[in-house]
Amino acid sequence: MQTFLQYTILGLAIGGSYFIAASGLVVTYTTSGIFNFAQGAIAMLAVFTYWQFRWGWNWPAPLALLMVLGVLAPLLGAALYQVVMKNLRGTSEVTKIIVPIGVMLGFQALATWVWNPTSSTPRQFQKFFGPNAFVHFGSIKVSWHEIIAFVIAIAIAVGIRLLFVRTRSGVAMRAVVDDPELLQLNGGRPERLALISWAGGSFLAALAGILIQPMIGSAMSAGQLTLLVIDAFAAAMFGRLRSLPRTLAGALVIGLTTTYVIAYFPSKWTWSSSFRNSLPMIFLFIVLIVLPQDRLRGATVLRLRERFRMPSIRTAWIAGLVLMVVVFCLKVIMERTAVNTLTLALTFAIIALSLVLLTGFAGEINLAALSFGAIAVIVVYHFGTTGSGTAARTTLWGILLAAVVTALVGAVIALPALRLRGLYLALATMAFGVFVSRMVLTERNERDIFGLKFTIFTAGQLTIPKPKIGPFDFNSPDAFLFLCAGLFAIIGIGMVYLRHSGYGRRLAAMKDSPAASATLGMSVVRLKLSIFMMSAAIAGIGGVMMAAQIGTVNSDRFDILLSLSLMMITVVGGIGYISGALFAGIFLIAFVQMLDLTLKKFAVDYSSIEAIFLFFVSVVTVLPATIGITMGKNPSGAVSDIVAGLDQIKQSKPLVITLVGLEAAIWALAATDIITNWHFVILTMVNLFIVPVVGGKILLARAMRGVPKPVPPELIGIDRPFTFDDLAEMDRALDLEGVVVLSAETVREGATGVSA
Amino acid sequence: MSLLETVDVKVKFGGNVALNDVSISVEAGSVTGLIGPNGAGKTTLFNTITGLQPLTSGKIVFNGKDVTKEPPHKRTRMGLARTFQRLELFTSLSVRDNVRVAGEIRNRWSFRTTRMDVNAETDRVINLVGLADVADREVGEIPTGQARVVELARALMIQPTLLLLDEPASGQTEEETEQFGELLKDLARNDGLGICLVEHDMSLVMKVCETIHVLDFGTMISSGTADYVRNDPTVIDAYLGSPESVG
Amino acid sequence: MSETHYHEDHGAIADAPLIELVDVRAAYGTIEVLHGISLSVPQGSVVALLGPNGAGKSTILKVVSGLLQPTAGEVRLAGRVVNGAPADELARLGLCTIPEGRGVFPNLTVRENLWMATMSGVPLADVEEIAYARFPRLGERRKQLAGTLSGGEQQMLSMARALSVNPSVLLLDELSMGLAPLVVANLYEIVAQVSQEGVSILVSEQFARTVLGIAQYAAIVLHGTITKVGTPAELEDELSAAYLGS
Repeated sequence: MQTFLQYTILGLAIGGSYFIAASGLVVTYTTSGIFNFAQGAIAMLAVFTYWQFRWGWNWPAPLALLMVLGVLAPLLGAALYQVVMKNLRGTSEVTKIIVPIGVMLGFQALATWVWNPTSSTPRQFQKFFGPNAFVHFGSIKVSWHEIIAFVIAIAIAVGIRLLFVRTRSGVAMRAVVDDPELLQLNGGRPERLALISWAGGSFLAALAGILIQPMIGSAMSAGQLTLLVIDAFAAAMFGRLRSLPRTLAGALVIGLTTTYVIAYFPSKWTWSSSFRNSLPMIFLFIVLIVLPQDRLRGATVLRLRERFRMPSIRTAWIAGLVLMVVVFCLKVIMERTAVNTLTLALTFAIIALSLVLLTGFAGEINLAALSFGAIAVIVVYHFGTTGSGTAARTTLWGILLAAVVTALVGAVIALPALRLRGLYLALATMAFGVFVSRMVLTERNERDIFGLKFTIFTAGQLTIPKPKIGPFDFNSPDAFLFLCAGLFAIIGIGMVYLRHSGYGRRLAAMKDSPAASATLGMSVVRLKLSIFMMSAAIAGIGGVMMAAQIGTVNSDRFDILLSLSLMMITVVGGIGYISGALFAGIFLIAFVQMLDLTLKKFAVDYSSIEAIFLFFVSVVTVLPATIGITMGKNPSGAVSDIVAGLDQIKQSKPLVITLVGLEAAIWALAATDIITNWHFVILTMVNLFIVPVVGGKILLARAMRGVPKPVPPELIGIDRPFTFDDLAEMDRALDLEGVVVLSAETVREGATGVSA
Repeated sequence: MSLLETVDVKVKFGGNVALNDVSISVEAGSVTGLIGPNGAGKTTLFNTITGLQPLTSGKIVFNGKDVTKEPPHKRTRMGLARTFQRLELFTSLSVRDNVRVAGEIRNRWSFRTTRMDVNAETDRVINLVGLADVADREVGEIPTGQARVVELARALMIQPTLLLLDEPASGQTEEETEQFGELLKDLARNDGLGICLVEHDMSLVMKVCETIHVLDFGTMISSGTADYVRNDPTVIDAYLGSPESVG
Repeated sequence: MSETHYHEDHGAIADAPLIELVDVRAAYGTIEVLHGISLSVPQGSVVALLGPNGAGKSTILKVVSGLLQPTAGEVRLAGRVVNGAPADELARLGLCTIPEGRGVFPNLTVRENLWMATMSGVPLADVEEIAYARFPRLGERRKQLAGTLSGGEQQMLSMARALSVNPSVLLLDELSMGLAPLVVANLYEIVAQVSQEGVSILVSEQFARTVLGIAQYAAIVLHGTITKVGTPAELEDELSAAYLGS
């Protein structure tokens, strides 16, 4: 009985904290239509900031609280809305998902930059009134902190209720849900309401973070804290992103069940801790699937506003060949470490191909690509290798088996999630990803499953040897580099073939208009299922290659945050393009690492201004997220911009020759060791960026020298509507007096257009 | 026997009667119009025919078979095609591929013996509706009028016997509407298609429809040729408001 | 355009039309639905937009109210070009719009609905007083959710907002939709009174005869263009042809 009460109170306190975070999600989603994936990251930043004030600088608690909750958190929320989220109105569903994820990853990087996680003293975060402030109710000992957490949660619930009923702004927030246009017609300012709610949502996130951190009792970790508040997603979903009482109920259920698991599961069940951690994700997955879809708001079709041009099959083959040649040329001049980096980048590019297939081609979404990679790696580790020690090799059959298993897992996930779309599908896959991280990848004990003794994730790390396929041994770094490049090219070309097939067209049809596809008699179930399986298999193969390149992988390699980064960068690169996947791999792995190394080298070389370079090293860690956040403005991705730019340059032979010639010369210098690899990289970048830009300017200037080509007058009004300038021009040409301004009299005379 | 018949179709939303015993018919080889003021129940009736809206009572008979309980895709496979008021084109495909993919989808569900040569059929339909000039352009680049024709061509690819068109004239210029009307007449006359048209644009309806059904407040108030319906005082009152109600 | 500025000049432009559209074009996405609309509403008069559904009447009102930006042409309010002004700003400047299909928030109570009307500056007490005096039924149901009211009561609620915020311009979209003729007649009686107080009213109405009795001018909208403008008497004979073809 005593245990029960003890754990009930802890469960209520944790559930209350979840509710506080979830209510923030509901409020922001309601007024702005954007699901704030960064809610957890905001909580995390608040916890670190509070720690800094309270224990780093020894401020008194009230002052630190006032500063964090009263000033910084609301400001951060308001700024987020004003600078980033406001621009997302009218963008595609994918962008609305990716940009908040970018913010989340950015905050994550920022926290690691400011609060170095490898610092020697662990940061301890204490409960309110210290760790020893207890109240005794009979035989039960309850910490003040837990009481405070629960009381605040109830107060927040009552407070939000009062806000929504007793204040005009609160009523207006409910009005926005009913009809934002009507509110505008009443003179209300939906934008301002959204701003206020983001400030409030951020405050709630911060409050939840500060309450929950000491209750979980471990040292502060940016990643863990961010994901902790993600548990609140399940509660928010239970409230259908709308109802606060249901959200509260959901949060309390999650809080209580997770603590009861700890209290009552036999201690010999070594998996109960992982199970407790994954419970909110299981809850989230079930809630998403069980809730009637029509009652879920925002379940719109994942429609990409952008249009992607598919290259012809011939172009795909040429591009594949070019890729192989470029990889070869690079290999000739690169050092061993650089070869390794490039190979790793290519393996990530292969994983990103699975996203291009799923999201770019079929309009579905998967936020947990690397979790499929993890499953494939487990399969290969257990069943797909031969030999031992340095003679160990991954077999072709092992890779194929892994692909089949991941495809099946993909099907198992996709089957219940088939009717989910957009945000809800994204959340369901994310729940799966977090589940894999918390439940499967923590399985380090031997289990007896149906008489089969088995350890899933042996000793927390798995060693995957390089593959040997038939007579070809890919153990040497160079051979493996070519294998990965070849694999990328072949899968990429295969995808282009697919896209040009009837199957690919049906995918496009399903993506562009599910309604029209259905009325043409298409059954989407098999199509969706097959594309999910294919995508999962590609992610699996990529994951195995990634693990083989690294050699020994631990569970961090398959972290959900890494999956999210990859998805984000692929969207930036252009989710509809094969090249977008290549961009994602190269950027996420090679480019960031290269910048990092270059800056560190400079810091050593020019030690007098070392601090500046080290500062930029930190900036680089935040860079990918920053680029993701800017997505709202460039919906088709960066690669398409570059391609569009190159298209113009292609018109000019001299420019192309200059570009290729210069690059060849730089390469020759590097190959003959006249210049170092550093210089090669820098000169290449200068060449690739500067020549098109300068060349483009020159071309443009030359074009501008001629008379600007006017729109043929007969096409005005056909190709585009008349503008006032056109009319004025016409009036001038026809010697008329100009547009007649209508007045009350002309209305009566029946003037209907431009009077002549 | 008519191609399509709705027999005493009634639909209630809560206490509101959206359709009250509506019986209409669509004949093969002719164009039938469905008109009425806003809120009259046209869309609801349209949805009962396609299968999106369940009936409270009554039945839908298509090709002599009672399809009241059949789901939408079954009706499609029996030869019922439709277009959308809000364009629902496959924007990442070219005009030709928009049409072609419809045939490919059809081949997936049709019986082996009735499979079509998709490429040949695509070319035939594209020429038939007059899209040959724009066939290789991106579907997002062509004007609305032509986009409506693409939707029509796509619907034709499943080789329907009944074609339901939801406000095809909206967004079309007068000239485009005229051409579209001619095309519909040709399809009905030459291919024996039954076409049912929900449309606000009376110039189109009056010109192409052999029979017109008029709905008002969920009830069918008139039914007949264009000339009959146009001069029916009940219809005029429904559209203009009854003279007594002037404030 | 600041609020004070607007009111200062109010008297000076009394003779000029309060709403003017000059060759306005508008589109939903790539579909152009208004192909050059020119129209004006003189101060204190009722102008009716007539025509079959889908002709573009509601779109014209959307453009005037600021909910839809025109792709070309000018919208002028009291002589000033207001293209691009957000709807809420126009609303606070005295432009009251009752949109199609009951301008109420269904999940808000009657009182809360009226509370939303106070955004343009009138205190809630005044709004409630005016509303309940005019429509005692609303007073009885002030705590009821607007979505549970009958169609006529909902329309009263939206009209109550129009009455209480003292607008200079009133835009009414399909006031009669789905309502019994007697209720409609009642509502239009109120519209006529409002216009006598000097409010300029632009009303779109599918059921032409219900509005011709109170309108000074009417325009027939077909295919996104205005085909005919005149007094109700001048248009009476053309209506049937406009709606049902000729």
